[in-house]
Amino acid sequence: MWFNRLRRTTVVLTVSALSLGSISAGVIMGSSGAGASSSTPGVTARSITIGATVPLSGIAVSYAEVSAAAAAVFSYVNKHGGINGRKINYIRKDDCYNINAVGCTANVGATPTLTQTQTLVTQNNVFAEVGSLGTAAQDSVLAYLNQNGVPDLFVNSGSSDWNQPKKYPKLFGFQPSYRAESKIFAQWIKTNKPGAVVGTIGQGDDFGANGLAGLLAGGLTIASANQLTYNPANLLNPTALQAELVQDLTTLKTNGATVVVLDSIPAITQAILLISHQLSFTPQWVISSVGSDPLSVATPLEVGAISMSYFPSTATTSNPWNKWLKKVITASPNAQTNFPNYFTGANAGVLDGNMQYGAGFAVAFCEALKSLGKNVTRAGFLKAMIKVKFATPALTPLSYTRGQHQGLQGGSIATVVPNANPTAAPQYAQLVGNAEYTTGDYSNTRIVTNRQKITPIPGWLK
Amino acid sequence: MKKLATLRSSMPTSARLLFTLLLTIVALGITFSLTALDDSKLAGGAAIAIVIVGLSWLIGWSGQVSLGNSGFMAIGAYATAIWANHHATTPVVFTLLLATICGAAGGLVLALPSTRLRGPYLAGMTLAFSFAITPLALNFPSVTGGSGGLFLNFLSAPKWFANLFSGSQALIRANAQWSADVAIVVAAVAFFFMANLFHSRTGRAMRLIRDNDVAAELTGVNLQRTRTLAFVISAAYAGLGGSLLTLLTGSVSPQTYSLPLSILLLTLMVLGGIGTLSGAVLGGLIYSYSDNLVSLINKVTGISSASTFGANLKGIVFGVLLILTMLLAPRGLVGMGGRLLSLVKRRSAES
Repeated sequence: MWFNRLRRTTVVLTVSALSLGSISAGVIMGSSGAGASSSTPGVTARSITIGATVPLSGIAVSYAEVSAAAAAVFSYVNKHGGINGRKINYIRKDDCYNINAVGCTANVGATPTLTQTQTLVTQNNVFAEVGSLGTAAQDSVLAYLNQNGVPDLFVNSGSSDWNQPKKYPKLFGFQPSYRAESKIFAQWIKTNKPGAVVGTIGQGDDFGANGLAGLLAGGLTIASANQLTYNPANLLNPTALQAELVQDLTTLKTNGATVVVLDSIPAITQAILLISHQLSFTPQWVISSVGSDPLSVATPLEVGAISMSYFPSTATTSNPWNKWLKKVITASPNAQTNFPNYFTGANAGVLDGNMQYGAGFAVAFCEALKSLGKNVTRAGFLKAMIKVKFATPALTPLSYTRGQHQGLQGGSIATVVPNANPTAAPQYAQLVGNAEYTTGDYSNTRIVTNRQKITPIPGWLK
Repeated sequence: MKKLATLRSSMPTSARLLFTLLLTIVALGITFSLTALDDSKLAGGAAIAIVIVGLSWLIGWSGQVSLGNSGFMAIGAYATAIWANHHATTPVVFTLLLATICGAAGGLVLALPSTRLRGPYLAGMTLAFSFAITPLALNFPSVTGGSGGLFLNFLSAPKWFANLFSGSQALIRANAQWSADVAIVVAAVAFFFMANLFHSRTGRAMRLIRDNDVAAELTGVNLQRTRTLAFVISAAYAGLGGSLLTLLTGSVSPQTYSLPLSILLLTLMVLGGIGTLSGAVLGGLIYSYSDNLVSLINKVTGISSASTFGANLKGIVFGVLLILTMLLAPRGLVGMGGRLLSLVKRRSAES
């Protein structure tokens, strides 16, 4: 018996020794690999690497221009020497709007956006994400980025989720919240369509929910039967989506809606307008800024629709930012493939809202980076986000405070007008009357009307 | 070798414990040398391996086919997300246990009627369940978050662990590796229990039922109870795996846990080897690193991953592998490995 016990003890001891050995070897290997530098991720003396997860294919591909415009600005800046001697390396990863699709597969449980974000963070070692797009997409990675200390700047979505400085101190939005925008719509509807029967069709996620909340906060009365949605899970299922939209629109028509507010992405806006045309349903359309870009929606049925713009009209050739942006877009690498509509077709030479948007946050990023000088850290950058007085193409000042990380606070009501070129199908948006903007997105804040102001282009950017 | 063999026969449970500990420690050691991305993949693989071993137990040992294990994963996943959103500070162990129990409860509810069914009828019943999960989750948005699903915090490395790392990627590597290590430990515990279960009275009864249920009944095995137990345990493992996946990915959405996942689990189980522990581990590993294989194929053949064919390459690869496995190694990669080993042994004995 004692012999057996001895043998057993020997086995246990050998195994423990082996395992301790393997662990300590692992620790040494692990720490020596990482210990090479303790500098800020993605930052070297000559470059700074940033990234974004954006739809470059799939249902929301029309937004690909946004990050392409940002990339164009960065390449323009790089050509002129970079920021404080650093070239900006901007990596755009396709997440197909966070929908499992061609080229965007994810492992079980993970979202396509999470998969791409993990690659950006672990492989590309990005300093920050700049201009990642989509409400549901970014919602799925907020905790991951926060946990790993990666700043998530200028998220391309009007959800109020980006404005949670206490929970997510490194998270910043860019555009006005859907709430703020919808409050402004509510005011416009009350003033211009008093007594209208209002209906809504929203994307069945935060996008639609926030939009509806803003309309209600703005004092509109909307019967619950007229508060309709479409399921974003159906975006890849055209048959189900079509059936859903037909049902929604038939309901609104039956209920006698005269004003319909849409919180939809451009492809859905287009589908809604086409279906309504078939149903002979012609209410006053009020379309969220993210779903109204006339070049993306691409149907004459959009003429007369009301939307909001936080950028100067693309038709205003005198605007210095528009002139500058045309130069930047034309000079950018692969411009022809990145901006096909700008180079060919009926709208050649016409800027669109996506380009202004991408340029807007790219310029803001450069300004914050420039203010830091040579020494770039994540903590320093976040302080700069609060301190810097941004000069962007936007109609309203871009500013953040300790307690407010949303970004722009409002914009101007815009309307879609026919294209000057009568043979061209798509139209461009024109700001209505005296361009004005409003602030405050919660029910307890008043809507303030201010005068539109165009910020001059900073000298170093010209 | 001899000492180990003696230990195995005299004290099988201790031997298994020792073996599990050894493997766990080696696996933990390996995670130190992996990149953060590979650590995340490994963690996902461990979670999937847990589900596969549960399925392997049900199909390989009790002979009941289930297409509903993705649904039990969903139960575990939602239980985790809902609990974590209300009680953020609960220790992970508790959350995992809770999800396991929820999965088991779901399994019991489905098992009571369905263990009376056999063959294709049982498969049909579990198929219906796996179809029902997505609409169920969509129709109770106040609890499940609707189509957007629920979000929760990721597993985060504790301070003492994070302090082991330095450099600009320290935090990222610490978090990724911590998740991998937690997943490995959870999987080790799950596999240890399963190893003992395989060799327990219940395990033997299960095999008897699978091979001849009349004989089993004659020897005093309660058919209904044993089958139900197999089902419940399988569901519990799926719940645990789903819970772990949710903690690793920080979100749960209704589309994730649908029928294709159940099929994928079955495929991985067959690839690895039905009814074996090592087969389940292999299945998990194949799953987590299949992307590497696909991108290798992309690179070698020049098929773009952006093309429709390229995007479906993973499914095609799995399909081809499955067919080859059925043709050449019906007992999976593990069975093939065993056969090769005995072939080599015989050769060396002859010469």
